[in-house]
Amino acid sequence: MRDKTAAVLPRSEADLPGLSARSSVPLGRVALLALAVATLALLPFAVTGYVLYIANLLLVFVVLCLGLHLVIGESGQFALAHAAFYGIGIYTSGLAGNAFGWPFPLSMLLAGLVAGAVGVVIGAVALRMRDIYLALATFAFGEAMQWVFLNWDQVTGGPNGLRISPARLGAFEILSDRQAYPVVVVMTVLMLLLTILISRSRLGRSFRAVRESEVAAMAMGIPVRRAKITAFGLSAFFAGVAGSMFATFSTYIHPDSLGFQTTILVLTMIVVGGLGSIAGAVGGAIVFGLISEFLRQTPSYQEIIYGLILIGFMMYAPRGLFAFIRDKVGGGTRG
Amino acid sequence: MADHLLQVDDLTVKFGGLTAVNRFDISVQRGTIHALIGPNGAGKSTTFNCISRFYQPTTGRILLDGADVTNMPASTMARLGVARTFQNLELFGELTVFENVMIGAHVHAGGTWRNALSARPAGVVEHVEHLLERTGLTPYRNTSARNLDFGHQKLLELARALAIRPRLLLLDEPAAGLRNREIAALDALLTDLCRREGITILLVEHVMQLVMAISDRVTVLNFGTKIAEGTPEEVRNDPSVIEAYLGQEMAHA
Repeated sequence: MRDKTAAVLPRSEADLPGLSARSSVPLGRVALLALAVATLALLPFAVTGYVLYIANLLLVFVVLCLGLHLVIGESGQFALAHAAFYGIGIYTSGLAGNAFGWPFPLSMLLAGLVAGAVGVVIGAVALRMRDIYLALATFAFGEAMQWVFLNWDQVTGGPNGLRISPARLGAFEILSDRQAYPVVVVMTVLMLLLTILISRSRLGRSFRAVRESEVAAMAMGIPVRRAKITAFGLSAFFAGVAGSMFATFSTYIHPDSLGFQTTILVLTMIVVGGLGSIAGAVGGAIVFGLISEFLRQTPSYQEIIYGLILIGFMMYAPRGLFAFIRDKVGGGTRG
Repeated sequence: MADHLLQVDDLTVKFGGLTAVNRFDISVQRGTIHALIGPNGAGKSTTFNCISRFYQPTTGRILLDGADVTNMPASTMARLGVARTFQNLELFGELTVFENVMIGAHVHAGGTWRNALSARPAGVVEHVEHLLERTGLTPYRNTSARNLDFGHQKLLELARALAIRPRLLLLDEPAAGLRNREIAALDALLTDLCRREGITILLVEHVMQLVMAISDRVTVLNFGTKIAEGTPEEVRNDPSVIEAYLGQEMAHA
């Protein structure tokens, strides 16, 4: 990993292992990718159902992070309603399964599309504002959605929560975490590939242009508002899909887990991983997800520790855990 | 095809009670370098920002190749072949030199789905590399824009604007802050762009050395009003110009 050019590359460059346009892929990255593939493939044979439940949950958070990465990391728009879109995804796919018995691939698509559509509508309004005003407006929407989840009894079950019937495809039913795991893994990989595709494309370049300078982006012919709304809509789509992934292995959802603290958790993950990098979003979700799993033993201190980690990273490693390690190990190759 | 690539008629810009630009006209002949000069606060940048559609004039008309663009949003101007640079550099700081210029080629990177989804769209990358070569930025292609020195940042803004493949290039103080050697290189580059590639250039500039060397025509603005227009020679000898502006400059030279 001691690749000098890697330290100079922009944190936005979406060159994940094996997918780089250039032929010389650093050996360390290939090894890392191989390790990741092997872990994902062999995990079900080595561990208990509970560990697979944790793995499924971590992968859901990976997709949530990829979504938030698109709007905050790539486009620089501090939107803080991610948990709301996640919730829309969970309820949509859950209800599509419960009420209509839809096959899960269809309800997943529906969950993404509904969340994305709501995202576009909210984005069209909220993205008239920027910075702290945008953060507050999206925060307010998130709170409002949690209230809706809690009070729209006929649809969401209100404070009693919603029982989600098992995901099905024809005669096949997902009844355990072990059965859900392959579905969750495939969806995560698909969403990761989609993120890389978006980031490398013309659309991804326009997102980064908007993040770096709106006036310059405009002068380059980029319709700035449309780019922001697209990023916000895509981010909501990702959160919706993440929600539907959750619904494949979960039997129950309660609005309590769809509040602002979930949004902050996802935000913390992408900050810990390194804002603006896809690898950071994935790595942050896994590393921080594991940390929070261990913190489950001490629930009363959990929020405080999250807060301290977030502050610590913003102060001492604003470019994230991985860039921090690389800088320390690489001996300050950045000019 | 209109005779003048750019024509501004009766442009007035008011900010509250202040009239920044007052009934200003300018016609820029196709394939020429036209300079807009004047003392600080004369309204040059305001005019410039109206033409590039970043400001909305209070009254007046802006015609590009005979077509009225007065109400066009700024983000459509690139597609119409109008590129601009910024007085106080507006680079994509965290991104590499290469990516900055790639974004400049945004309007040419679409067309097909394949091209829009590609990290290296066909035909665009070659042009970007060519522009880097031409502005001497090739050695810095993977450097973050914000890590470049000032002179190279200015060149990067120019390269990025050229990636639009403009008909009309609007330069807001391209020579400001540059050293003499860099100004000489800029002089050669701009002359070449105009004479060999037929790019029409309108520049706002304070550096008289550059203005007098490369301009075909010079328009002088003072207190928001046009006070003179002509060849560099004519303007240099115009008494009202000397009084308003060049007088001070000459005294220092």
